[in-house]
Amino acid sequence: MRRLLAARVAQGALVVALVAVITFVLVHLAPGDPIDRSLETSLLSPEARATLRRAYGLDRPLAEQFARWIANFARGDFGWSFSQHRPVRSALASAIPNTLFLMGAAIVASFALGVAVAVLQAARPRRALDRVAGGTLLVLYSIPTVWLGLMLIVVFAQTLGVLPVSGIVDPVLHPYMSLWGRTLDRLRHLALPVATLALGTAASVARYQRSALLDVLAEDFIRTARAKGVRARAVLLGHALRNALAPTITLLGLALPALFGGAVLVETIFAWPGMGLLATSAVSARDYPLVIACAMIGATMVVVGNLVADLLTAAANPRLRSS
Amino acid sequence: MVITVPLEPDFLLPQVVSSIVGKVLSDQLFEPLAALTPEMNPFGDKGFEPRLAKSWTWAPDSMSIAFSINPRARWHDGRPVRAEDVRLGFDLLRDTLVAAGQGANVADIDSVQVRDSLTAVIWFKRRALDQFFAAVVNIIPVPAHILGGADRASIRNNAFVRAPVGSGRFRFVRWVPGQLVELIADTANFLGRAKLDRVVLSVAPDANTAAQRLLSGEADFYEILRGDQLASAQKSPNIQVKPYGGVDIASLQLNLRDPRNRSRPHPVFGNREIRRALTHAIDRVSIARNIYDTLASVPFAPAPRAYGLADSSIRQLTYDTAAANRTLDSLGWRARNRDGIRVRNGVPLRFSVIFPTSSRPRQRVAVLLQEQLKQVGVGVDVAPVEMNSMIQRMRVRDFDAVLNSWHFDATPSSIRQTWSAAAAREGGDNYGSWTNPAFESAIDSAIAAPDVARARSLYRRAYQIWVDDAPAVLLYEPNLVAGAHKRIKLAMLRPDAWWAYLADWSIPADQRIDRDRVGLAAARQ
Repeated sequence: MRRLLAARVAQGALVVALVAVITFVLVHLAPGDPIDRSLETSLLSPEARATLRRAYGLDRPLAEQFARWIANFARGDFGWSFSQHRPVRSALASAIPNTLFLMGAAIVASFALGVAVAVLQAARPRRALDRVAGGTLLVLYSIPTVWLGLMLIVVFAQTLGVLPVSGIVDPVLHPYMSLWGRTLDRLRHLALPVATLALGTAASVARYQRSALLDVLAEDFIRTARAKGVRARAVLLGHALRNALAPTITLLGLALPALFGGAVLVETIFAWPGMGLLATSAVSARDYPLVIACAMIGATMVVVGNLVADLLTAAANPRLRSS
Repeated sequence: MVITVPLEPDFLLPQVVSSIVGKVLSDQLFEPLAALTPEMNPFGDKGFEPRLAKSWTWAPDSMSIAFSINPRARWHDGRPVRAEDVRLGFDLLRDTLVAAGQGANVADIDSVQVRDSLTAVIWFKRRALDQFFAAVVNIIPVPAHILGGADRASIRNNAFVRAPVGSGRFRFVRWVPGQLVELIADTANFLGRAKLDRVVLSVAPDANTAAQRLLSGEADFYEILRGDQLASAQKSPNIQVKPYGGVDIASLQLNLRDPRNRSRPHPVFGNREIRRALTHAIDRVSIARNIYDTLASVPFAPAPRAYGLADSSIRQLTYDTAAANRTLDSLGWRARNRDGIRVRNGVPLRFSVIFPTSSRPRQRVAVLLQEQLKQVGVGVDVAPVEMNSMIQRMRVRDFDAVLNSWHFDATPSSIRQTWSAAAAREGGDNYGSWTNPAFESAIDSAIAAPDVARARSLYRRAYQIWVDDAPAVLLYEPNLVAGAHKRIKLAMLRPDAWWAYLADWSIPADQRIDRDRVGLAAARQ
């Protein structure tokens, strides 16, 4: 197990390093540069633009910029963000917790919802509830994230007025609320982004989980349990579900990159100040240090997520654990 | 109140601000010596009201203006505003280490002299009708007691540029990166307390989300409502919509130099008659209608209507496909290929138009242009490109034609930045490289004119030269419409700066909602 962990960590580090190098090359090959990023900066004279380019080291050859970036990175310095006007580390420090909060909530919600729906479907397969749930899941799985997000805003924020449109907290009142009020405020702002991210993933989880449950329910040990008089509910939840979770845990590893990708869109729609929004604005601003750092953090999240999923799968399956 | 904005500000120090949102905020935090009145008359000093300066005196030869600073003017830390602060405001603009955006705007200002602690004298290199405007709009006093010793080369990294001590009717409270910037009324301000207690600029990068924020009541003001958003706002019982003009003009800018060899004229647009024929062939009224319905008009000249200089007295190249066909025929572009495109010496009459992928209106314009020009046998290759790529291609002049939008400031002399020979060099903003000595001479004479009537006449002459030469096809001038919650009593929204009188907006006491009642209270710890 320890050897497996060490090998996977080494592989993960290599992947993150490759992602960083490829991102560095790609972002520098893309047209535009941080000083020319916006027509608004056309206020700057050519001389002023040259001064700024010099100040940020953008006038140096690409190889030299790369060497300097490597040297800084080796010292734990991600560099200076041209668009945020602060150290990259500071920009990441404010964005990462927000994304982890959003993704964490989305993962919990999507897997809880997906497993719950699958259990309901598997309890009475091919009956009305199963068919309706199956159709609904297919629709949810097919809806583009952007459209779903906008529709949720229209329904729950604009029409019903029960949830806020965007942001992470109320921009004015939050600092004046009690602890309970602040918690509720955060949860209210979390609801629509999490729903947007989670509904599609939940649909996918439910389909996998239902299939796995039906396979397990056909096995001999389930028949034995039923023959021994174990109640149907206990058979389903205590015996079948436990043994049918392995594919879902694998799906957790696969869901992380998908959720991280979805977070880019969702954070933009809901003005959620996380890694996705930061990465999007960094790319459009050609903020090279920030783009590279965002790519590295994204890759790290995905690698760690996969590693955790592998470990959980191994922990859940004794045959994998021993091998 | 909450204002929803598309981006975070870049900085809050006026000398280094280059984003519109940064300008909105820095204009609240820092007072100028004098400010434009709603009439927007940039000529002379009649169109200005005192702010940090209580009065000013012109030298007999108009080569200097002595500003007397109001002795009651204070920085938000309580220190008095001094003439030294005016000088620092100018020095920062001119210092190449600072690389200030507006540095070019004060090229005609020689220096700022501190005559005494409350008198700053601004010296000019030459007289101009809008020299007062150039001085007071660009030279914004900043606190020398804080920034005087700051390292200029790294001023953008100075904590002050993100948390400034200003002199405006609003003072800085907090900037939460990626989320908001908050200001509150400066209750001790010598110009009077801002009527709003608190203003929060909250970031929503997606335009639909921003509009939904307004419609749901989460935000109180959104500066641009268009299409469906505007229709929804008009139906809402809680929202007021307010048109305020604007100073933007969209155009099809033509590159007059060959992008493959800039020493040669462009094979199509190098010819003035072809440019005029293309202008005749484009039905600009229908394009403006198609894109913005009644919320846009066809510009008369490369100057917004808000200047009051460009009007129907300027002869236009009207929509006339017969005239376009005649001209193109006469130039030898008679034969047509299988696609109906004109050909001369085996070369088809076609060009490419670039525009940003992010702009849906410009995508629609490109398609309409393609269709309209095809009617007169001109082929258009529509080429959407990513915004950064478009900007880079414009800077290095690597394009045939570009769907571009100009944002003007409040003085017509700024046209030099876009259409002068100096701006035609690579990196300058005259992307099409059009130059015309007669045009420049008329503009220079207008700027130096002895009186407003003469200046107006010269500007009109310059505009006529421009229209006749057709270096770009002026497509439309959007009439911007803002949306605000009905409880907000808006002051005038100036076409070039809707935020100019933000400190005079108010909310009647009986219409306040929870967020208005926070008042000036400090946040819980």
